[in-house]
Amino acid sequence: MTTTETTTPVAPDGTTRKDVAQYGLAGFLLVVGIVVLIDAAGLSDGFADQPVQPYAFPYVVGAVLVLLSGLLAVATWRGDVPEEDDGEDVDLTQGSDWATVIKLGLVLVIVIATIDFLGWAIVGAFLFAASARVLGSRTLILDVGIGTALSLLTWYGFYSGLGIPIPAGVLDGVL
Amino acid sequence: MDLLLEGFATALTPENLMYAVIGVLLGTAVGVLPGIGPAMTVALLLPVTFSVPPTSGLILFAGIYYGGMYGGSTTSILLNTPGESSSVVTALEGNKMAKSGRAAQALATAAVGSFVAGTIGTLLIVLLAPNIADVVVKLGAPSYFAIMALALFTVTAVLGSSKIRGFIALFIGLAIGLVGTTTGQQRMTFGSPQLADGIDVVVVAVAVFAIGEALWVAAHLRSKPLDVIPVGQPWMSRDDWGRSWKPWLRGTAFGFPFGALPAGGAEVPTFLSYITERRLTKHPEEFGKGAIEGVAGPEAANNASAAGTLVPLLAIGLPTTATAAVILVAMQNYGLQPGPQFMDAQPKLVWGLLASLFIANTLLLVLNLPLAPVWAKLLQIRRPYLYAGILFFASLGAYSVNFQAFDLALLLGIGMLGLAMRRFAIPVLPLIVGVILGPRLEEQLTQALSISQGDVSTLWSEPVAVVVYIVMAILLVGSVVMSRRTTPPAPTRTEDASMDVNA
Amino acid sequence: MTIVIAYGTDQYGRAALAHGAAQAELRREDLVVVNATRGDSLVDRRYADDAEIERIKAELQTLGLSVSMRHDVVPDVADAVIEVAEQVDATLIVVGVKHRSPVGKALLGSVAQRVILDAECPVLAVKPDPLADTV
Repeated sequence: MTTTETTTPVAPDGTTRKDVAQYGLAGFLLVVGIVVLIDAAGLSDGFADQPVQPYAFPYVVGAVLVLLSGLLAVATWRGDVPEEDDGEDVDLTQGSDWATVIKLGLVLVIVIATIDFLGWAIVGAFLFAASARVLGSRTLILDVGIGTALSLLTWYGFYSGLGIPIPAGVLDGVL
Repeated sequence: MDLLLEGFATALTPENLMYAVIGVLLGTAVGVLPGIGPAMTVALLLPVTFSVPPTSGLILFAGIYYGGMYGGSTTSILLNTPGESSSVVTALEGNKMAKSGRAAQALATAAVGSFVAGTIGTLLIVLLAPNIADVVVKLGAPSYFAIMALALFTVTAVLGSSKIRGFIALFIGLAIGLVGTTTGQQRMTFGSPQLADGIDVVVVAVAVFAIGEALWVAAHLRSKPLDVIPVGQPWMSRDDWGRSWKPWLRGTAFGFPFGALPAGGAEVPTFLSYITERRLTKHPEEFGKGAIEGVAGPEAANNASAAGTLVPLLAIGLPTTATAAVILVAMQNYGLQPGPQFMDAQPKLVWGLLASLFIANTLLLVLNLPLAPVWAKLLQIRRPYLYAGILFFASLGAYSVNFQAFDLALLLGIGMLGLAMRRFAIPVLPLIVGVILGPRLEEQLTQALSISQGDVSTLWSEPVAVVVYIVMAILLVGSVVMSRRTTPPAPTRTEDASMDVNA
Repeated sequence: MTIVIAYGTDQYGRAALAHGAAQAELRREDLVVVNATRGDSLVDRRYADDAEIERIKAELQTLGLSVSMRHDVVPDVADAVIEVAEQVDATLIVVGVKHRSPVGKALLGSVAQRVILDAECPVLAVKPDPLADTV
């Protein structure tokens, strides 16, 4: 995502700490808003029977996004802090472990890059085993076993159960 | 009544009954499992809409919806970890009951209360939905436009704590909804043929609910086990029954209307039910230490509101909860457009669905009372497998839409957005509702203006539209006044702020 | 001189506890009870809660033994047991063992097996008494 990290210097008033990363979100909204507006500007008039021009909605959406970006930046500057999402397995007291997230992202990137060639059965098994490993599992053989079983089961389940043939990739003819 | 009986005939076929059982079991399981909720489960199961017939598919999803509610309360009681905001109140007294050795009674009153509330709620849908649909069917495009705008507005600005964050979510959703060529020209496609058909709502739903959540949890994985309270067979004594039945009924009375209103949700009615029971109880000394009324009432309210949300969903096509939003996505995948015509055009499906809700409720009671100890075992599943499994099924779901690696890339991109939304406390529901309703809003506006040949005043030419705009104005003023009154000055939250910076 | 007991809240852990306590009494040595978890699931049934740890400690102390408890979340349970044994220079480690099929061993591994193989001091592998399950 294009999170432009606008690390605006925080006014050192010392009393309230600011969530600087939130400026990044504001920047992201600004970029999206401008992209929507530029795209809208490139649209031509609709047909004669089209009372709502194709660019009408985009102009509104883009303009509001830019406005929201400004409001969020102001709110952040005034000390607005988000209440992070809590959950059963979420431990907010420990800080954030972004390394794990990046590794999981890489696993998904590998999946995206190879799925057309290798097919779901192989890539799915890799996805499961690699994610489990990244998330802290240390039983490699078991992970790969479960991953393979899951991907084969889902492949055959979709094929015969739901009647959806998922492309088999290199295993075409084997499965 | 005949229609309902026919509905039962549809729902009781062996195949549909099987889908109801699967839905209820699956729903309860994911409600119990940490990290997965009914909305995510329905999102992950959206691929079944490609081949399972609509009636069966919707019966499955309705079972998951009701089952998820029940499963969520089980973990609230046994672990004091409410997975969803709607079961926070249940945990207050439920976990205290469990700690004092009354886990079985807490689970039993939650289960029976859910059954009572769900059954009454479904009965109310049966009575109300056709009448509402009869009224709604007379509405023109201007009124539709107004009602949809109201839905977007309430979901965004009334639910949730921060209005600006609600609107951010909504407009990101609307921006995603712009992508495509519905207006005859390529909008936001950046010349990509894969984007020409728009971004599939399935991909968006799976990305924000499943990938975003899995990545967020991965960044904050809890590493200490919680103390679980061992549970035997749920049962209640005569005294427990005597203390429970009134809270069940009162909870239902709170829950259903809130669920049925476009601004509903389950948080307010569960909380109202809790304070009511605390005031009316004959055992005030037990409150705070595990009073059965404090479990019975909120649990009933929770389930009644779940039933209530189906009224606007079926009669107008408005989702007011995340799960309802994903069910709406499923309906759209089937080419069904919920709303007034829907009740008339698809009587078999609608009545089959309603009948299956009664069945799902009964199944929950019959299956889950004996299965409670089994569900508690689910909590031992290892987190790496749970979240690897979520990533696996999310990828499968997105890939099975078109078998394009491109959809997986979109999944990852929007999933990252979902992660950022959780980091910055941006609510998910307005985004998904924006993606679903945005294009429809544009369509209704176009339709209204083509009939009036471009005369904008047509938008407030129908009485219903005028009323809706007035309601919106009242809500707007009301919520501004409320927030003025309740928002504490910003510096009180410095503790959290320092935590973020250290992060 | 110290004996280390690998404890989990099941019959195997209780067997280890009983045998370990008996050994400590016999040999007049100190006890360290290790109850650890990887903490990778919401609930780990072999991980005792704080009240139980206190109860076990009190119970062992009434036998006149000097006891310390290790109750931790660790990356690997077997490693944790061995590490504690090395720290306290243990003369004996007591583990409860259960029967596992060859497939189960290959897939899941076994804390007891790894302790037995990797520990540098003698290891006492005990089984639960099939007739009594009292402690």
